[in-house]
Amino acid sequence: MKRWLALAAVIVAVALLPLLLDPRGYWIRVFTFTLLFAAMAQAWNIVGGLANQTSLGHAAFFGIGAYTSTVLLLKFGISPWLGMLAGGALGGLAALVIAIPTMRLQGHYFALATLAFGEVMRVIANVWTSLTGGPGGLSVPFVPPSLAAYSFKLLRPHAYIALAALVVVTAIFEIIRRGAMGYRLRAIKQNPAAAEVIGVDTTRVKLQAAVISGALIAMLGTLYAQVAVFFDPDTVFGIASISIRIALIAIIGGVGTAAGPILGAFFIIPLEEVMNDLLSSRAAGLSQLVFGVILISVILWRPRGFITVFDSLRARLSRSGAS
Amino acid sequence: MSFLQAILDGLLIGGVYAVISIGLTLVYGVMGIVNFAQAEFLTIGMFTAWFAWAFLGLDPVLAAPLSFAVAFAIGWVVQGQLIARVLSAPSVAQIFLTVGLLIVIENGTLLLFGSQFRSVTTSYQTISLSLGPLFISIPYLIAFAMSLACGVALWWFMRASWFGRAMRATAQNPAAARLMGIDTALMYKMAFALGVGLTAFGGAVILPYVTVYPGVGGQFVVLMFTVVVLGGLGSVAGAVVGGLSVGVIQSLSSLFFPIQLQNLVLFIVFILVLAVRPQGLVGASR
Amino acid sequence: MTMLDVRKVSRRFGGLQALSEVTFSVNQGEIVGVIGPNGAGKTTLFSTLVGLIRPDAGTVTLDGKNLAGLKPHTVAGLGMTKTFQNVALFGESSVLDNVLTAGLLRHGVDAARSEALHCLDRVGLRAVAHKEAGNLSFPERARVELARALCTAPKVLLLDEVMAALNPAEMREIMQLIRSLRDDGVTLLVVEHHMRAIMNVCDRILVLNFGRLLADGTPGQVASDPQVIEAYLGRPAEAARR
Repeated sequence: MKRWLALAAVIVAVALLPLLLDPRGYWIRVFTFTLLFAAMAQAWNIVGGLANQTSLGHAAFFGIGAYTSTVLLLKFGISPWLGMLAGGALGGLAALVIAIPTMRLQGHYFALATLAFGEVMRVIANVWTSLTGGPGGLSVPFVPPSLAAYSFKLLRPHAYIALAALVVVTAIFEIIRRGAMGYRLRAIKQNPAAAEVIGVDTTRVKLQAAVISGALIAMLGTLYAQVAVFFDPDTVFGIASISIRIALIAIIGGVGTAAGPILGAFFIIPLEEVMNDLLSSRAAGLSQLVFGVILISVILWRPRGFITVFDSLRARLSRSGAS
Repeated sequence: MSFLQAILDGLLIGGVYAVISIGLTLVYGVMGIVNFAQAEFLTIGMFTAWFAWAFLGLDPVLAAPLSFAVAFAIGWVVQGQLIARVLSAPSVAQIFLTVGLLIVIENGTLLLFGSQFRSVTTSYQTISLSLGPLFISIPYLIAFAMSLACGVALWWFMRASWFGRAMRATAQNPAAARLMGIDTALMYKMAFALGVGLTAFGGAVILPYVTVYPGVGGQFVVLMFTVVVLGGLGSVAGAVVGGLSVGVIQSLSSLFFPIQLQNLVLFIVFILVLAVRPQGLVGASR
Repeated sequence: MTMLDVRKVSRRFGGLQALSEVTFSVNQGEIVGVIGPNGAGKTTLFSTLVGLIRPDAGTVTLDGKNLAGLKPHTVAGLGMTKTFQNVALFGESSVLDNVLTAGLLRHGVDAARSEALHCLDRVGLRAVAHKEAGNLSFPERARVELARALCTAPKVLLLDEVMAALNPAEMREIMQLIRSLRDDGVTLLVVEHHMRAIMNVCDRILVLNFGRLLADGTPGQVASDPQVIEAYLGRPAEAARR
C-alpha cells in the first residue's frame, strides 16, 4: 500500500512539472522527449532485460510506427491515433518476422543480427521514395488542433501523452515481469534446456516478448513523429539515434528492472541536451565525445547500471539499521 | 565479360576485407567479445597513412606498418585499461563499452581533423593492367598483395611463434593456459592490439582508392560483421573466405542493383547466414 | 499397464554410438533403475526420452502417445520430465521461483506458488524457499531440482543421479520420497551410481553398456547375470558390497 502511494505521488509530481515549464520553451520539449525515450527503453527492456536479448535493431519497429501513421495521415487523412494502432500491428509483425530467424542466437550474435535488420529497414526507407519521401524525409501535415486529430498548438498535451505512454508501457512491463511470462523469461534466460524440460515453450515465449516489445516501440514511433513533426529515415531508423540510444538508456539505468529505463532516460536525454547546448558551438564532435567518455565511465563503474547504486545504498542502510 | 571482371574486382577488394576483419574474429576467438569499435581502427589507420603521405611524403602502402603500429599501441592500452575490466561482466556491458569506444574514436577524429574528406594522389592510382579482356586495377592489386602478405605473416605468427601458440591455447581454455604459466591478460592485450593493428593496416592499403573522413569506419561496420559471420566468428581462416565472398557479392550486386541497394544485399546475406548457420558457412568453431 | 515404451532407439554422435537399438518398457507405478559404467549412455537415454535429443531411429511412446518429433515442453505437458545430472537450476532466482516456474505448466501463478510450496515441503526445503538457488549446497540444489520436476505433476519422472554427494541419512530420505511418489502413482526411472541404494529401491534394473541394453531384470537377476558381472561389475563380490 505504501509503495503504491509513493508511486502515485511520483507520477503526480512528474505530471505537475509541465505546468511549471514554459509551454513554448525548450525544456518542455526536452522533458517530452525524455519521457518518450524512457517509454521506448522500457519497451526494449521486455526483450533486452527480461529475455536478456540485447537488441540493437529496435529502430526498425520505431521507424515503422513513425512512417505508418504519418503516411496514413498524409495519403488518406487518417487520424494518427488509428495510425498508431496500425503501426503497432505492423511493428509487431516485423518483430515476429525478425524474431523467427534470430531467436536462437545469443549475446553478441543476436545484437549483430538485429543491428543488421535495423539497417535493412533504413536502406529500404531511403530507397522507397514514393512511399517514404526518401532521404528528404516526411513532414507531419498541420491539421486544426484537436485531441481526436492528435494535433495541439503547444507542447503541453504532448508531454502528458508521453507521460501516459510511459506509465502504460511501464505497467505492461511490470505485469509481464511479475506474471507467468516473467517467470518463464527468467527461466529461459538462465537455462533454456532446463526451462524446456519443465514445460516452458521457449520458442513461443520469446516470440511473444519480441512481438509485444516491437508493437509498443512502433506505437511510440507515432508519438515521436507527432512531437517531432519532421523526420527522415536516418533519424527514425538510425543505429545511433534510436537503436543504440534506447538500449543504452536501459543499460545505464539498469536492465531488467522497471526503474532502470526511467533512471537512464532522465540521466541521458537531458545530459545530451545540455552538452549539445554547451559544447556544440565550440567544436563539432565535442559533445558526442564527452558523451562517449561518460558512457564508458558509467559502464566501468556500474556494469549492471545505476540501479545498483540504489541496491548498495539500501544494503548499507539496512546494515546500519540492523546494528 | 563484365561478370568475370566483377568477380576479379570482388576477389581483389575481398582480400582487403579479409585483413580488416581478421581482428574482429581474433578478438572474439580469444576473449568472446565482439568489438563494435573495430571499424574505427580502420579510420585511425587511414588517417595515420594520410598524414604520413601528406607530411612525410610516404606512399600509403609503405605507411601501412606505421598505421599498424599506431593502432597496435592504442589497442594495447584500450585492452589493458578498458576491455579487461568487463571481461566477466554481462554481455550488454561488453557490447556497450565498445559502442562507447566507437563514439569516442569517431568524434575524437572529427574533433582533431575536422569533417572534410581527404584523399591521396599516387602515381599508380589510375593505372590498370590488361589481362586479355580483363582489367586489373593497380591500386586494387597492390592492396590485395599487401593484404596477402599480411595474412601470411599472421598465419606464420599464429602457427610458429610461441606467442601465437600461447594465444591459441588461451582461446581454447583460459584456465588451463593460466595453469601452464601463460599470462592470459598479456595474451588478451596482444590479441586485441594485433587485431586492431591489422584493421588499421588494411585502412592504409585502401587509402589510394578510398577517401578518408571521420565517419569512414561506419561505412565498414556491417561489412566487417558480415565477413566474420560468413566465415564463422572466431575463425581466422573463415574470415579469409568470408572476406573474398563479401568482396565478390558486393562487386556482383553492383552489376544488378543501384548503389544504395548494394548494402541491402549484404545485410540480407548477413541475416540469412546468421539465421541458417550461426557457426558460419565455413563451420569452424572457436 | 505399460506407461513408457521404448523401441529400438538409436543415437549416434559423430563416431560414437551413444544408444544402439535400446528397447524396454516400463509399467505404471514401477521404479526402474538404469545403471552402467560412465559413458554407457544413461544420460543420453534420458535426454532422448524427454526430447532434448532427437533419436536417429526408434520410437518412444508415453501412455499410448508417440513422442516422435515433440519438443521437451510438450513432452513435459504429456507428463514426462527429468532432472539434470549436474543440476541445472535457475541460479539467480529464488528456490521458490525455480519450482514455481514448473508449476506454471498446469496452473496460474498463484496456484503454481502454493503447488510449489507443497513440492518444497515434500523434499524438505520449505525453510529455504526464499534463498537464491545458486547459493545452496550441492545436495540441496539436487533436491530443489527434484521439487521442480515434481511440480510439473509428472506421470513419469526421470531422476539423473539425484543422490550424488548425499550422506546416508539424506539418501534414506530421498529413497523414501521415491517410494512415496510411486505410491502416488508416479512411474520412476532412476540413474544412480550408488549400487546399494539402487538395488534397494528399484523393482527392476536396466543395464546399459556402450549404448546397448545388456540386461533387464529384478535386482537379484541382474546382480547374478554373468554377462553383467563381466561387463560392468567386474569383480562381482566387491562391487555388490559397495
